[in-house]
Amino acid sequence: MSQYTGIAPRGDLELLRKFGEKLNGKSFLHVNSTRAGGGVAEILNRMIPILKELGIDARWEVIGGDERFFDITKKFHNALQGKLEKFSEDMWQHHFEVNKINAQGLNLDADAVLIHDPQPVPLVEFRRGGKWFWRCHIDLSDPMVEVWDYLSRYCNKYDAAVFSVAKFAKAMAIDEFIVTPSIDPLSDKNRDLSEDEIREAVERLGIPLDRPMILQVSRFDRFKDPLGVIKAYRFAKKYNDCVLVLAGSAATDDPEGETVLNEVKENAADDPDIHILLLPPFSDKDINALQRVSTVVLQKSLREGFGLTVTETMWKGKPVIGGATGGITTQITHGVTGFLVSSVDGAAFRIRQLLNNPEMTKRMGANAKEYVRANFLMTRQIRDYLSIWYAAENKGRNALEL
Amino acid sequence: MATESFVFKQCINLIKSTGRKAKQLRELYAGIEQASDDSIYHHTYQYFLKGHLLEYTNDFAHWAGESLEERVLSEHLSALDPYEFADIAGLRKKLLEVIDDYLESFPEPREVTPGNEFYFNETITIVFPVGIKARNLAEFLIAVRYIDSGSLYYHFYEARSRLGSGRDDFSKWFEEKWVDDASKKELGEKIKGIDPFMHTIEEIREHVVSAVEEVVRKDMGIIPL
Repeated sequence: MSQYTGIAPRGDLELLRKFGEKLNGKSFLHVNSTRAGGGVAEILNRMIPILKELGIDARWEVIGGDERFFDITKKFHNALQGKLEKFSEDMWQHHFEVNKINAQGLNLDADAVLIHDPQPVPLVEFRRGGKWFWRCHIDLSDPMVEVWDYLSRYCNKYDAAVFSVAKFAKAMAIDEFIVTPSIDPLSDKNRDLSEDEIREAVERLGIPLDRPMILQVSRFDRFKDPLGVIKAYRFAKKYNDCVLVLAGSAATDDPEGETVLNEVKENAADDPDIHILLLPPFSDKDINALQRVSTVVLQKSLREGFGLTVTETMWKGKPVIGGATGGITTQITHGVTGFLVSSVDGAAFRIRQLLNNPEMTKRMGANAKEYVRANFLMTRQIRDYLSIWYAAENKGRNALEL
Repeated sequence: MATESFVFKQCINLIKSTGRKAKQLRELYAGIEQASDDSIYHHTYQYFLKGHLLEYTNDFAHWAGESLEERVLSEHLSALDPYEFADIAGLRKKLLEVIDDYLESFPEPREVTPGNEFYFNETITIVFPVGIKARNLAEFLIAVRYIDSGSLYYHFYEARSRLGSGRDDFSKWFEEKWVDDASKKELGEKIKGIDPFMHTIEEIREHVVSAVEEVVRKDMGIIPL
């Protein structure tokens, strides 16, 4: 915790210490569906050791499943974000059965349990006491009704639900908290890098630095609109010479990634200035280096849960051109910490604007970094989870004094 | 009895969704009518903790201006001072009056684009001491420079609801600790006079530091160059 002194807000650190005292020795279990790839695993990798240092008995369990299970849950993911998918009764049944098998092998006994996203949501049927919270990281503002109806049968059995932004929350029978995700400023993805570290990574990845670099870091997923980014880059390149880097990793629970990657490669085929990097999981330092050397960073998502890549980039003192969707709008104050865009044309315009105004880029980047410090560091998110737990144990009171 | 040391506290707000939203003005009206007192409090008094730009003074005005693009309405809503009202009921009534008046002139409100609805939230507030105490003005000056904005918000903004009469915790401490000292009374008045709507929390910090520093220098007998 002392490593965060001078980085995280003092008040957050003080409150964490106080929660550590109040909740000392109590157990806090997190469950999700992948230990590698994607934002949730990334957060948990950092959060669990911090919770332990506070004196909380924190654990992280991962459910397993067959290929069919992950196909079904990917369809859930798409359907919850508005895409039409076909479902059948046996798919719901399979989802439940896989969770039932997992419940038999997992230790679900804890004072507080946080279940992440739809994959493990039926585990609540097997709870053994303690406070149970369902944490949804995806955009639930316009879900396919059939899927939400199915999942909400489980969700409403939790003590509370947690969403990333208010627009994702649904009208549920339980308390719904809004907790934005966060980054760890000390992780390899976000810590300061030396010039040597940056140069080594960029050279190894084969990225030229002789011209401005446009970057988007994300999974190869249609909701991240990589083809739209290529279009915006091509439009901007008519006015400003630059290179484009699309960098992403595969998540073990995303079967569509390879299809989208191939689409992107096909689209970019004849342009030597478009670099497509499929990075292995945990390429944190490489992503860190790319974000630091880039001139312009995009996150042109069409739908987005929260968009941690935006937070990471802002922490490096760079303004982001973000799709005006989901949690991106919570992070980017248009014209102050970045730009919000709703089209390829909008993205191309802002790329040109940032390429041509380095002073403005620097000023917005500084604003962006301070905004992340105050609102989106790991210490704040842990503070919020512990606050929810503490509030659940003091239910009915809307003002608590420690 | 006057508090001897100033104990710095801070508050954080845990946001809770109410599940209610509005996509146009009539729905906003209905939402304000039916929202809990906690929700109205959050969208008005707690606006400044979020670190917004100073174009607006509450979430309703912000949404009217940015999402609905009803600039005139946003100006009317921004003109409301929640600290002028004795209770939430009075503030709620005034909000509804302002919207009602506007709807009389523009009875067919348009809808916002999907995703830009107004979401009615509430909060659970957690207050905690930050581990800093000031026994005198010099220590107070050092502390105010370094406390988080959340602590400034608690003592300058939240105190106004807690103490009433436009008082903040800083002014109260100056007046109570140095009962017979005119310079401290004047300092208290100066702090109380800082317009809470016209500055960011960091600007308020600068104003408080500047005002306190002036008095500390006088107390130390420092002659300005």
